[in-house]
Amino acid sequence: MAIRVNPKFIDVLDRFGAEDVQLCYQCGDCSTICPHADDVYKFPRKSMRLLQMGLSQKIETTLEPWLCYYCGQCSEQCPREADPGETMMSLRRWLISRYDFTGIARQFFKSRLIEVLAVLIIALLTGIFLLYYGFSGGSIHIYDGEGAFLSSTFIHKFNLTVGAILAVFLVINAIRMWYLVMIKGTQFAVPWWLYLKELYQLPWHFFTQKRYSECEKKREHPFFMPWFIHLGLMLGYVTMLVLVMVFIEQLQSGPEIKWSVHIFGYLATIGLITGTIYFIRNRLKKNYVQYKKSHSTDWVFVILLFIIVLTGIAQHVFHRTGLFEWANITYVIHLMCVVPWLLRVPFSKWAHLIYRPLAMYLAAIRRAALALQEVVLDSYPVFIK
Amino acid sequence: MRTGVFFCQMEDSRNLNIDAIAKYSANLPEVETVQILGLKPHPEVKILCEQIKSNNLGRIVIAGDMPGYFKPVFTKAMAMTGGNTDEIRLASFQQHGARGENAMDRAKAIVACATMAVPFSLVAIPSGNPVNHSTLIIGGGIAGIQSALEIANAGKQVFLVEQTGTIGGHMAMFDKTFPTLDCAACILTPKMVSVGQHEMIRLLTKSKVVAVTGKPGSYRVKIRQSARYVDINSCIACNVCTEVCPVKVESEFDAGISLRKAIYIPFPQAVPNAYLVDEKSCTYILSEGEKCGVCVKKCPKECINLNEIDQTIDIEVGNIILATGYELLDVSKIEQYGYGVYPDVLTSLEFERLTNASGTTGGRIVTKTRRFNKKTREEEWIYSPEGIPPRSVALIHCVGSRNKKYNPYCSRVCCMYSLKFAHLIKEKIPNVNVYEFYIDMRAFGKGYEEFAERIKQEGTFVVRGHSASVAMNNGQMIVRGEDIFNDRLVKFKVDMVVLAVGLIPASGTEELSRMLGVQRDTDGWFSELDYNGSPTDTDKGGIYVAGMCQAPKDIPDTVAQAAAVAAGVLGSLTSGKGIGHLSSLSLSEIEARAKNIHTI
Repeated sequence: MAIRVNPKFIDVLDRFGAEDVQLCYQCGDCSTICPHADDVYKFPRKSMRLLQMGLSQKIETTLEPWLCYYCGQCSEQCPREADPGETMMSLRRWLISRYDFTGIARQFFKSRLIEVLAVLIIALLTGIFLLYYGFSGGSIHIYDGEGAFLSSTFIHKFNLTVGAILAVFLVINAIRMWYLVMIKGTQFAVPWWLYLKELYQLPWHFFTQKRYSECEKKREHPFFMPWFIHLGLMLGYVTMLVLVMVFIEQLQSGPEIKWSVHIFGYLATIGLITGTIYFIRNRLKKNYVQYKKSHSTDWVFVILLFIIVLTGIAQHVFHRTGLFEWANITYVIHLMCVVPWLLRVPFSKWAHLIYRPLAMYLAAIRRAALALQEVVLDSYPVFIK
Repeated sequence: MRTGVFFCQMEDSRNLNIDAIAKYSANLPEVETVQILGLKPHPEVKILCEQIKSNNLGRIVIAGDMPGYFKPVFTKAMAMTGGNTDEIRLASFQQHGARGENAMDRAKAIVACATMAVPFSLVAIPSGNPVNHSTLIIGGGIAGIQSALEIANAGKQVFLVEQTGTIGGHMAMFDKTFPTLDCAACILTPKMVSVGQHEMIRLLTKSKVVAVTGKPGSYRVKIRQSARYVDINSCIACNVCTEVCPVKVESEFDAGISLRKAIYIPFPQAVPNAYLVDEKSCTYILSEGEKCGVCVKKCPKECINLNEIDQTIDIEVGNIILATGYELLDVSKIEQYGYGVYPDVLTSLEFERLTNASGTTGGRIVTKTRRFNKKTREEEWIYSPEGIPPRSVALIHCVGSRNKKYNPYCSRVCCMYSLKFAHLIKEKIPNVNVYEFYIDMRAFGKGYEEFAERIKQEGTFVVRGHSASVAMNNGQMIVRGEDIFNDRLVKFKVDMVVLAVGLIPASGTEELSRMLGVQRDTDGWFSELDYNGSPTDTDKGGIYVAGMCQAPKDIPDTVAQAAAVAAGVLGSLTSGKGIGHLSSLSLSEIEARAKNIHTI
């Protein structure tokens, strides 16, 4: 297969946040220090090299960017201050835009204006639709049941519709990722049973993020803090997603609290609120390498999530204290944020929720397939694995 | 001729006010237009063409720190408009030394000369002062020795000032020189002896320059000579005093890997060949005469006087040569290599002393042995001749060099001496594995590339890829690295790690530069007047630089530069024209001279 060189690739990546790639002089310090780099997946140096040479077609078939959790050790170590960690982050952004078949993600990452406008327009449309629906069928003074402003059955249908749109985009993008990596980017045979054998990797990495915790090992955070909080945020998000998709009617019914459902809601809220505050604080303070450079999409992501959590809590409090008008108003604002946020998922950073575990899964398959090839790597007399 | 002046800067000048220079140059005769084009991006050819046409320019002056960088664009524009491309003049602030106190005046003068198409160096010849025929050389390393011999052999008086107890510097510590693998001492020691015996060289060891006054051609220099406590003339180097001395401290000459006494001779071939007392560790001196003093009693020649005091010497010299050399970067602050934590991680100088036949192990390359120190009741790691030789050694290049956090520059010698180490290890230990971790192999000199090829053929594993970490696993050191050519990550078990540590200017460089008014560059080395044209002169008249103190360089280059300095000094002594500061020329003077030449 002929490989096309894209001389403008560095400039393209510049828009995604990788500003200093050309400084790299290929010493390999970053690969050496990286706790995740091994004999099969060598990064970040190799990715930097491909980037410098403009091999965009090659990079889009690699998994390496997804194996990096941006602990920042490489960037701290880099003698050229070429910021390999940020480059891997930018490559992830770029890969998200490559997996996305609509081309929307690309526009979001390239232009802050387009992204903010898109979010605002969808939020406004949602708000208009909800207000129209609410006033046409119900009263703002009633929260649930007969004549409610936004009844739970309606919200349930509404959520499922939004969720279905989200799922379609995500599934198509994930298939594109699989195609790029396993069909276009794999030159050797991959037996089908490896897909079954390594299937456990998907839930394992999704629910534990074990590699993230390995990343933090050498750093001086107490109690693997970033990993713990990241995991809490992710689990809170997934729990909340399940609750609003399946148990919305129980959540919205009143007046007494249904502890069997609500306890999960409260736990998820704790995870979400601590996570968002922690990440916003770090991005503001820039106290670690990985938070020094924040892309505009990162900010939209955390700020929107923060507003969603706050309005969600407010809505819940108003509902339970009987201030139904206020509960309905905050509910509308909450949904105005939730819908653009959810629709943004396949085109934004949050898509790594799917891509990361998938990448671990595919990486494990490729590794196993490569081992079957019986490639002899050893040529040194003293080599320990 | 209608002239246009364009200011193009690579980066922001810290000491130059470009606007003021532009204003000045607008008032120069024949100057039609003055433009400040701002930082780095190339000016566009189209716009330049319009400028040239609209102003009908016949000559263009590009002014800036590196105007040559922008010349191609201007040449293109000039050619496109049908102008004479030879009339593009460069006004280089950096090249002609627009630095320091009178940087602004100098920059203006440079632009003025360029607008009149007169070479700056033709105009800026400082007026001469009569020159005193003696020369001061600061630093007694190979550069200082070479310069001193060249000048003294021409029959001129030389004062050679050396801070330590012996001349020889770092070269005396080396085992072999690359790429010829000659014995360093065999080259250096005859020269050292000649210096010691030369009637025209006055050797001042344990001395420091404390004040310099006067003008070029007649500098009055105040030198403080610390007490040596041993009479150089009567000491016969019998070693009795060292045998009885009870104090043991780390030897500077052995780079700290062995111990010496408080009264010692740095190495057997030291010049002057006499013992000296380290006042920082001698019990007698520290207790102000209360304790010890045993060496005085035992000395057969009665040449030790522990009550000697420092002396101040005033001399007058015509020229001063700076040859202060370098030191190693403090590598313990680069934590990932474990220097100072793991016993068998060495700096390059320590390894040099370890492999040297006159070193503490007699030239055997061994790992450290653990020993129980009865005095401090602690276990310590020392080198003993009975130590176990390493089975595998890692040599890591570019430690602190080419690194934006430490030294952004290349230290120039590390690649070659690391290859030399690989050869020495292979030569001395059978069946040893040697791994070289390098980023770029800089084998730049005569015979160097061939030397590198030879080392590879000897079976050294030359890994293209830097190693970023040294770790300890159950008493076994492990070096991780990326082998880029073989596309794999490697982990090697090694018994010894030698770090090719980056070089920095010697600790007194800053003080000296302040005392003499000699500029230093951003990395701290002394600035030469012009890197290409006059690499040995400084912008102070009668002050020269030689060897490492100007920039890292290897021994052949150092010797060549030292000899070149001697030529400059001897020229100033014999030409009869005298010397002066370039900076003493005023702007109006340069302008007037340039006009003179211009009208001819």
